[in-house]
Amino acid sequence: MTRDWWKHLVLILGAIIVLAPFYMMVSYSFKSPGEIDRGEGGFFGRQELMVDERCVALRDPNRDEIAAMAPQYPGLSDNDIRAVIVAEAEAACSMRPIAFNYSKAFTEAPLLRYLANGVIVTVSIFLIQVAVALPAAYALAKLKFWGREAVFGLVLFCLLIPVHAIALPLYIMLAKLGLTNTYAALVVPWTISVFGIFLMRQFFMTVPDDLIDAARMDGMSEFAIVWRVMLPTAIPALLAFAIFSIVAHWNDYFWPRIVVTGNRDLFTPPLGLREFKGDGDGSFFGPMMATATVIVTPLIVAFLIAQRRFIEGITLSGMK
Amino acid sequence: MAVLDANASEPVSKGVQSQARTAWTLTAPALALMFLILLVPICVAGVLSFTNYSLGNAGFDWVGTENYERLLTRTTYAKMFVATFTYVVTVVPISLGLGLGAAMLVHSLGRVGDIYKTIYFLPVMATLLAMAIAWEFMLHPTIGMVNRTLEMACGSWFEVIPFIAHGCADRFPLWLGDKDYAIWVVCFIGIWQGFGFNMVLYLAGLTSVHRELYHAAEMDGARSAWERFRLVTWPALGPTTVFVVTISCIRAFQVFDTIEAFWPQGGGPNKSAYVMMFAIFEKGIQQNLIGIGSAITMLFLVFVMVLTLIQRWLVERKVHY
Amino acid sequence: MKLTTTAMVLALSASAVYAQDKVTIEFAYPYSHLFDVTYEAMMPAFNAAHPNIEVKFRATYESYEDGTNTILREAVAGNLPDVTMQGLNRQQPLIEKNIAQSLEPFIAQEADFEKDGYHQAMLSLSTFNDEVYGLPFSISLPVGYYNMDILRAGGIEELPQTWDDVIAACETMKANGIDNPIFWGWNITGNWFVQALLWSQDSAIVKDGRVTLDSPETLAALEQMQEIFTKCYMQNLEWKAALSSFSAGDIGMMFWSTSALGAVERSQGDFELVTGPFPGMGGKPMGLPAGGNAAMLTSTSDDPAVREAAWTFLKYITSGDGAAEVAKTTGYMPPNRAANEIILADFYEQNPNKQTAVDQLPLLRDWQAYPGDNGLAITQVIYDSIERIVTGDATDMKELQRELVEEVADLLPNG
Repeated sequence: MTRDWWKHLVLILGAIIVLAPFYMMVSYSFKSPGEIDRGEGGFFGRQELMVDERCVALRDPNRDEIAAMAPQYPGLSDNDIRAVIVAEAEAACSMRPIAFNYSKAFTEAPLLRYLANGVIVTVSIFLIQVAVALPAAYALAKLKFWGREAVFGLVLFCLLIPVHAIALPLYIMLAKLGLTNTYAALVVPWTISVFGIFLMRQFFMTVPDDLIDAARMDGMSEFAIVWRVMLPTAIPALLAFAIFSIVAHWNDYFWPRIVVTGNRDLFTPPLGLREFKGDGDGSFFGPMMATATVIVTPLIVAFLIAQRRFIEGITLSGMK
Repeated sequence: MAVLDANASEPVSKGVQSQARTAWTLTAPALALMFLILLVPICVAGVLSFTNYSLGNAGFDWVGTENYERLLTRTTYAKMFVATFTYVVTVVPISLGLGLGAAMLVHSLGRVGDIYKTIYFLPVMATLLAMAIAWEFMLHPTIGMVNRTLEMACGSWFEVIPFIAHGCADRFPLWLGDKDYAIWVVCFIGIWQGFGFNMVLYLAGLTSVHRELYHAAEMDGARSAWERFRLVTWPALGPTTVFVVTISCIRAFQVFDTIEAFWPQGGGPNKSAYVMMFAIFEKGIQQNLIGIGSAITMLFLVFVMVLTLIQRWLVERKVHY
Repeated sequence: MKLTTTAMVLALSASAVYAQDKVTIEFAYPYSHLFDVTYEAMMPAFNAAHPNIEVKFRATYESYEDGTNTILREAVAGNLPDVTMQGLNRQQPLIEKNIAQSLEPFIAQEADFEKDGYHQAMLSLSTFNDEVYGLPFSISLPVGYYNMDILRAGGIEELPQTWDDVIAACETMKANGIDNPIFWGWNITGNWFVQALLWSQDSAIVKDGRVTLDSPETLAALEQMQEIFTKCYMQNLEWKAALSSFSAGDIGMMFWSTSALGAVERSQGDFELVTGPFPGMGGKPMGLPAGGNAAMLTSTSDDPAVREAAWTFLKYITSGDGAAEVAKTTGYMPPNRAANEIILADFYEQNPNKQTAVDQLPLLRDWQAYPGDNGLAITQVIYDSIERIVTGDATDMKELQRELVEEVADLLPNG
């Protein structure tokens, strides 16, 4: 055991590099702009009260507002009244950095809506993928028909096509149909998962035929067999596939970037984060890191809970 | 693969016919979608790559191979090829090596190694865009953690390293703003994100290497760890390696998120990170030059298909025991 | 009886109020770090004045280029917003493609447009073919931002007047140990600073429909940039990183648009910030390009209520109230004179840094658009060429000019 110490050393060094950006992202989501600029405050930041400058700027008074306040401050010049108002604004706009960062993350942009979109899109994609792939896989695995080899050959050919390569022509087709900036555009291109068909077919071929013949003798139609007999046996494989699909599409940035232009209602979490990033103001690094943390957390938490399943799912492609 | 027909007494043609009909019904949606979403777009891209079409224009002209000629002659596209291949050739071997190394270390530690497996797999799960932004922040020239940490090394014995000495005297690199460093930073982030995936694949492969092979090798005189690796482990991991290389190559060719996040316009300082996916996005979608965008798409398709076919061929030929 | 009648009348009138439908219009603007505050400040008053108009904000554009890109894509896909903010140099292509609509019909219905502060000089920036297509929202000019603490530490007391002064200042500061003397905004949107150097020499980048990059003034501009970048050891910072670095107090001199002044002042560290006029080449500049954006009507709706609501919003944000917020929250100049009635009488005395751009107003010239369909691609080509000077990739300016002219010629319409 003691000769393993060097292995631990190497692995720990690696772990530090791997975890560095996570650490920084979470830590900066707790800090005030000043602390971020100067790189101080430890992990949680000092959590001193900070002043939200934008909030103060919003309360900067106009001429008529000062005139309205004048009676309360007799004898003071316009500028002095303004100074008083600004001081009040600064007091009212003070808050702890962590509250500032996370509240801004949810208010500057509809982050909850983005998270909801992420869920809608990934779940829709997965459900449709299963609805399309499962019957096809069953037919290819268990049914005899004269075009079977050809169809399977087509599946193998389509496996060669990297999905990002067809992005441009698909976008043109969708634009011509007027379907960009819709949920359909986000979901439809992913509904065909040849990988899913391939995977399920391999799995189904290991299912004993007796099971199917028994079902047939019971009078079940082939459709029923797919959903009532094959599906329950395929649950483990489906679970792994689900994880693979959901992770890939939650994190997908390329396709939504192409197909959604301005409509915030359709933004998926990565697009929402990018809009934040477009901000050139240094004071919004904190909220940006808070948004990033919120986006990354669901999958990481799910992963930590169900590690084995996740690793199975992601490396599914290795099971030939 | 052959399925024995249980009801042999039934007239074969009728059973097969109804099975065939059902089979076609079951596969129809998948077939339709395969055509519409995978095959038709490729043809569309192929055709459009010979035109100068722009979305919104009423018509277009046929320009023959002009787009392809531009791809092969203009310096902008030369930079595109350089950037893409630099990325692929750097990220694939290094992430493979790191993945293999990590897998072997973790594997040899048994249950204790599980915590490392979890940690190293985290980047694979995290949204790349979010982590790229986190990295971008760490690499900020003045307020980023990386340069801050490097500056702490000034005035200490670390200055023996010429890079640090130069940095302390002059200034530390701008990383993302520096045309010499930009592509390497992108490669680093790609490796950071991907090696955990390879590690897990190799771990699965390692568990399937038969113990007896190691014993046999020892009896044949293979003593050191290196010999065991060279004679037993590496060859046994052959299929895994081929698979890892192919998947890593395809993912490397498709890199986009980091580049568009860091440099929304231009593709890096001096276009040093102007990879193919970004070129397709910039030319085809942002600048609405569909003709040349389609030409780049076709080239990209060819590269990836050739790669995958090579993998298939290798798996068939070389790596069977 | 009486009670019931009263109740019915009340109920009817209440439903009449509710029956006044809410009209929704969609709007998008660029540069969230500059304008988020501005719109946040404006909207409460707008919503109070027009409760039946709901303004739905789309995702902000990252830059003026991004804004034009997005509008062009949305035009093709058929989901344009109702109102959009576009850079002053990006208006013409949208008008030529019939994406932006003429505002003349709406202006004709106004009682006294001029009286609301919309004077001729202001509208001329958005007038094409004698028709007004946009209402300017914000105007900017290039200025110099000076971190006086760093300048004094580097031995400089006076603000530079010409680029030679700037270079001399860099060298003095370098000699006194200042590492990061300057950031020059070559990478600002739309090749604005290239046009600034050309207008400084009284030369237009587009003349009579021709791009004049082969002129001697262009060569002089390229050489001037090379001198500044090399002799001042300027780092190739991305502009957002440069702004945040300057705000944090790490850069001595920054040459950028006055637009960022509001954002910089809100997030700046503890140093004395002073702005000065944009230096000239061997003397004062003879002209400077106008920066900023204008609101344009791009609505594809047939519903007159929607179009009316869009016009109402357009007018409001560019009115005195809107323009006052622009002046207060950003460094832009309010195009609408009525703003001066609303902000404090001595606003510019209180904010001398914002006065700098106003002082340069007599130099105001057009921010020009490139002819043809490929304006965005041409902008990128010029950007890439200047970057080669910054990174040291290009050292022979004559050679660079030749290559630049060639590549741009590829993208221009024939003839």
